[in-house]
Amino acid sequence: MDTLLTLATLAAAIRLAIPVAVAALGELISERAGVLNLGLEGTMLFGALAGYLATIASGTPWLGLGGGLLAGAACGGVLALLMVVVRADQIVTGLAFTLFAGSATTYLFEQSYTLGQAPPRIPSLSMAPLVVIVLVVLAGVWFLLTRTTAGLVLSAAGEAPEAVDALGYRIPRVRTLATVAGSALAGLAGAMLVCGPLGLFVQNVTAGRGWVALALVVFARWRPGRAVAGALLFGLCDAAQLRLQGTATEIPYEAFLALPYVVTLLALMVRARRSGTPAALAVPFVRGGT
Amino acid sequence: MTVTRDREVASAPDTVLARILRGPDTRLGVVAVPVVAVLGALVVGGALMAVEGVAPLSAYGEVVLGVFGRTRGLVDTAVIATPLILLALGIAVAYRARVFTIGAEGQYIAGALAGTAWVTVGPPLPGFLLLVSGLAVAVLTGAAWAGITAWMLARFGASVVITSLLLNYVAAAGLAWAVRVGIRDPGSFTPQSRPMGAAALPDIPGTAIHLGFFLALLAVPALAAVLRRTRFGFRVEVLGANPEVLAVNEARPARTRLAVLALAGSFAGLAGFVEVAGVTERMTPAFATGYGFTAIIVALLGRLRPLGVLVAALLLAGLTVGFDEAERVFIIPSATVGVIQALIVVFFVAGEALSRRGRR
Repeated sequence: MDTLLTLATLAAAIRLAIPVAVAALGELISERAGVLNLGLEGTMLFGALAGYLATIASGTPWLGLGGGLLAGAACGGVLALLMVVVRADQIVTGLAFTLFAGSATTYLFEQSYTLGQAPPRIPSLSMAPLVVIVLVVLAGVWFLLTRTTAGLVLSAAGEAPEAVDALGYRIPRVRTLATVAGSALAGLAGAMLVCGPLGLFVQNVTAGRGWVALALVVFARWRPGRAVAGALLFGLCDAAQLRLQGTATEIPYEAFLALPYVVTLLALMVRARRSGTPAALAVPFVRGGT
Repeated sequence: MTVTRDREVASAPDTVLARILRGPDTRLGVVAVPVVAVLGALVVGGALMAVEGVAPLSAYGEVVLGVFGRTRGLVDTAVIATPLILLALGIAVAYRARVFTIGAEGQYIAGALAGTAWVTVGPPLPGFLLLVSGLAVAVLTGAAWAGITAWMLARFGASVVITSLLLNYVAAAGLAWAVRVGIRDPGSFTPQSRPMGAAALPDIPGTAIHLGFFLALLAVPALAAVLRRTRFGFRVEVLGANPEVLAVNEARPARTRLAVLALAGSFAGLAGFVEVAGVTERMTPAFATGYGFTAIIVALLGRLRPLGVLVAALLLAGLTVGFDEAERVFIIPSATVGVIQALIVVFFVAGEALSRRGRR
């Protein structure tokens, strides 16, 4: 166990945290505006595939990241159309979209190369620029939410939509923009996963990272800095699991496979308790009538 | 709609789900939206195949032939529909009460794992007792696994969507460990449990249809009766429609939420045990195939009603079997049927929302 906290483990932790952090920041934007986007995992998958294909087409992973960003924004457009404009149930819509993305990306991926041939690896970005991107996104989201009028309107749309409406801002427009922006970041996160050290798309490459990001937003209580810190915690667990798979024979490696998810569950408990959630909060409350 | 810490219960009442619960104004509308969604998805799927250079009509003809043109097709459909029916029945009840669990997959794995462990490395019991006790262990484990989610909701106000989903990954890790080490057949080179022996479910002679299919068929009217006639069924409806009414009328909503989650977990555990005992008759690493997620589509498409669930499960199972057969004749990407299934649910959700808007 003493070999656990080496520089290599730390580097692996940061590498594993990067996509989760960016996706969590994206989800944070839409949730602050009042849209619970359960389509996050699906959007990441589309972003990952778009990043992979755009890198193959252009030859540079930088344009792959751009492709992921655009694909994410497109997903956000579809999701906003369903959840904000048509006002379909947010939970059902998000679930449906993620289910759809799992099959659709597999289908499109199978279409993108000739059967029987191995799908090509793509040139991959090193970690340093990816870390810079995370920091830039973090600073951007923080600045938007705390230092701009747009951010204030956005947050208010999730807190007191009636008041924002009374001020003359269009709630559907604010929420649509927030969903599109947040989804663009989720798409970028997917692309960072594939265009980073992995350099390959595989079926269901996100492996639940979108769901972890969703849990992190709750864990971070909708604060950008804490979301990134939470992602780092997740990355650390994941890195420990990978490292111990090879070395520790006493402990089954599956325990470490489950560890990030268990830690996230525990974090949800601790967070909820510390926030002093009133017991009555689990008692249903229907907001605003119709 | 704002984000609160208790998001399961914070949605505005007039959502798609409320609409699914309440049903459209006409009897025709109950089936119209799902039928249109299915047809729409088949049209898009046909267009995809046309792009691939496969004539859609002959491909769909082969799909139908694959199911109805041979006994084997109907048998396979029944076998695949079995876990879907059981899983979706539990999900349907939970969703009726607006408890959005996506943990069926984990409960299915946990139930199957515990049941298999009981009958393969547990106490040596005579055949029939072994089967019945194994079923009971699986059902209870499924309920307990769902109970973790219920407890985290009641105690910490943690989102059901997120906790139930995270638990799926924990169960999957448990499956990987159990077949590799925990309940591994020592005489086997590949990681898998011992065969279930006397606890295996009997098949209809000459076919692969096992007892579980008839259990699932029985569960449909049984659950319908429970929902329609019992106090529990009434509470589920009230909780889904307006939780505050339930709160002021003595019954505690938290208790009903616990009950529906435990029920969903029981059905998932039952589905898991029936699948192992009826099909592979031992636990393998490949056990988790995502039925828990497909069952969400089945429950929604079946309008969260037991009879609807039966029809939807047979439809999706038939599509899977039929496409499997069509792939032998035509060169179709294997993900096509998945895309069609996912499109069905997307079209269904959009159709429900649009039909609601059209009426205003």
